[in-house]
Amino acid sequence: MSTSTAPPRPRSTSGSRAQRRAAKVSKTGFIAALPFLAPALAAYLVFVVGPMIESVRISFFEWSGFQGAPQEFVGFKNYVRIFTQDPVFWTALSNTIIWVLLSLVIPVALGLTLAVALNRPLFGRNAFRSLFYIPGVLAPIAIANMWRWMYNPNFGVGATLAELFNLPWLGEIQWLGDQRLALYSIFAAFVWQIAGTNMVLFLAGLQSVVPEHIEAAKLDGASGWQIFRNVTFPALRPITVIVVVLTIINSIKVFDLIVGMTGGGPAQKTQVLALWSFTQSFGNNEYGMGNAIATVLLIITLIIVVPYMVWTARQEKNS
Amino acid sequence: MRAHSKAAALLVSAVTVAGLAGCAGGGSDSGKTEVTWFKLTETAETANATIKEVIADFEEANPDIDIVLEERSTDAHKDALRTTLGTSGAPDIFFSWAGPGLGGEFIEAGASLDLAEYYEEYGWEERFSEAAMGTVTQYGGYDGVPYTQRGEALFYNKELFAEAGIDAAPTSYDELVAAAEKLTAAGITPIQFGGTVNWHVMRLLDSILETKCGEDGYQALVSGEASWADEECVTETFTEFQTWTSEYLNPGFISINNDESSALFFGGEAAMALEGDWFNQSVRDNGMDEASVGVFPFPTGTGRIYGFNENNYISANSEHPDEAAKFLDYITSEEAQEKLIDAFGSQSVNVNVKPEGGSELDQAWTPIFENATGVYMNNDQNLSLAQTTEYWRIQNLVATGQLDPEDAGAEFQKFIDQS
Repeated sequence: MSTSTAPPRPRSTSGSRAQRRAAKVSKTGFIAALPFLAPALAAYLVFVVGPMIESVRISFFEWSGFQGAPQEFVGFKNYVRIFTQDPVFWTALSNTIIWVLLSLVIPVALGLTLAVALNRPLFGRNAFRSLFYIPGVLAPIAIANMWRWMYNPNFGVGATLAELFNLPWLGEIQWLGDQRLALYSIFAAFVWQIAGTNMVLFLAGLQSVVPEHIEAAKLDGASGWQIFRNVTFPALRPITVIVVVLTIINSIKVFDLIVGMTGGGPAQKTQVLALWSFTQSFGNNEYGMGNAIATVLLIITLIIVVPYMVWTARQEKNS
Repeated sequence: MRAHSKAAALLVSAVTVAGLAGCAGGGSDSGKTEVTWFKLTETAETANATIKEVIADFEEANPDIDIVLEERSTDAHKDALRTTLGTSGAPDIFFSWAGPGLGGEFIEAGASLDLAEYYEEYGWEERFSEAAMGTVTQYGGYDGVPYTQRGEALFYNKELFAEAGIDAAPTSYDELVAAAEKLTAAGITPIQFGGTVNWHVMRLLDSILETKCGEDGYQALVSGEASWADEECVTETFTEFQTWTSEYLNPGFISINNDESSALFFGGEAAMALEGDWFNQSVRDNGMDEASVGVFPFPTGTGRIYGFNENNYISANSEHPDEAAKFLDYITSEEAQEKLIDAFGSQSVNVNVKPEGGSELDQAWTPIFENATGVYMNNDQNLSLAQTTEYWRIQNLVATGQLDPEDAGAEFQKFIDQS
């Protein structure tokens, strides 16, 4: 009896790895898709990746921003300055964090509530949907102007109501002038602007809920809350990921509303990182500092968004 | 289908060609040379109309040149200059404040063309006053052509003053405070400011600084020769400033802009406004009875007038410097200045044009300028851009009671030392 042993499998070599990778690429059709992807990829590299790399590069230089003006390499000096000497950076950072956290709670919950409410047969349903969505298509700077007038201490809504109903305390509230209140007054305008957009996204998600599943849950005696929690909400998971990611991105880059309503004031108390980066670059001609702040903002965004997307992708896969 | 494809291709080609034609600078469809001019929108509508009239006059006399005017509000104009100067999007001519903190940044960055040859060609040195020429030669070359010479003072509503029992315009700082006190007691807002545009309230802080520190002290502080942390007058200034913001300004001033606050003066709800000579026309345009409005210099006690100069600069990379210089020669000529001075109610930069005629309000400026022993300039023109941003932050912290006036000077000096 002869025994034969199978020859040991050769250890992976770089050559075979490359072959496997090539086979995988070929199998997924990447090469076939490349000509179609190339224009968008080129545009993405030129208009997104390129400027991002350039922004990070400039953050290590001192530069006034004028064409022809010298760029002096200063290493991490701009980062040291924003973290230890900039009197506004920490205010802007904490305001940005507050804004993101509030955005994840209030406009998301409001958008979901509106979507659930307007997903059932209701008189004037389409009119209500349009009404709530309209602020989402308005230019943020127009919204800022509108709300600024509403908050005007002399002619605004508060002042008018105070006079009408003899409520002097209401007329004395400085919606945009009180440093403890100003950020939240602007945030109210943001909620008004964004809740309708969230509603539309959730409404689209609700259309994917299988009616038979709801019917079955009803037959099993599930309450309205139980149906929402165990049937509707799980079906909304993909759209919730989109809403959460968009909300985080929108809130991190909030700019126009603050520029239009307070300009970052009073005394920089409503500054956020995006606006402070702009102010340092274009207002103070400190492009190195401005881009260092933009880089910090980029890192914060990646720290929040990437793990969340990875986690939700895994959840999707497991389910 | 094929016909549709051809039509689409033609349309795309036409749009592309049109787009490329639009990108090409300097020429126009009519074959004229286009000279672009970025300037500030005048606050008074009639002043804007006069500018357009002057341009039309020039174009009529020079049919081969087309002046393309782009006007913006104060902050938008500053942003436009910072983003376009030095690039291919820069205008041929740009308006700027002439102080080192604003215009100086552009000149240091090489955005302005040295106009020495045009000064010689047009004999401009004889046309402008010594003070105006000083703003041109302050950086070593010939940068810019004088456009305006602005003065700022206190406009007051005579009827509201009379209602509060004030018989005459204050001539000392103590009288000014007493007047504010009387107005408050009579239930009248003494003075209006809009705080969202920081430079508006800054005028009050600057003027109190001149009052408390005097001419030498003011100049030493803004030029960096004296420390804001060590001068007692700085603390006095911020203390006095906080009294004004808490007692005498329109409630909620910090959350409105200058246009919104000016409406309080035009509507007879605030008794005073710290504005420039351009405000004469705004008073008229907003329907106030001009006879009820007076103007007096902020009584600092130093004799200097609060003000600044504005110049028009030719971009270093302008493709049409000759045409641009020709236009600047025209708008500073006696013919154009006669028209502009009527619209602005101001002093002319052309020494041969004297403010004559005009209303009583216009005439009130002549003695203010004539009696002035010098100029103390707005601090956003004295300080660097970053320092100005910090000056405004500290100003607003004190104004809203978030920073003790005693700490304000040290806080600002700390920033200056670190930058």
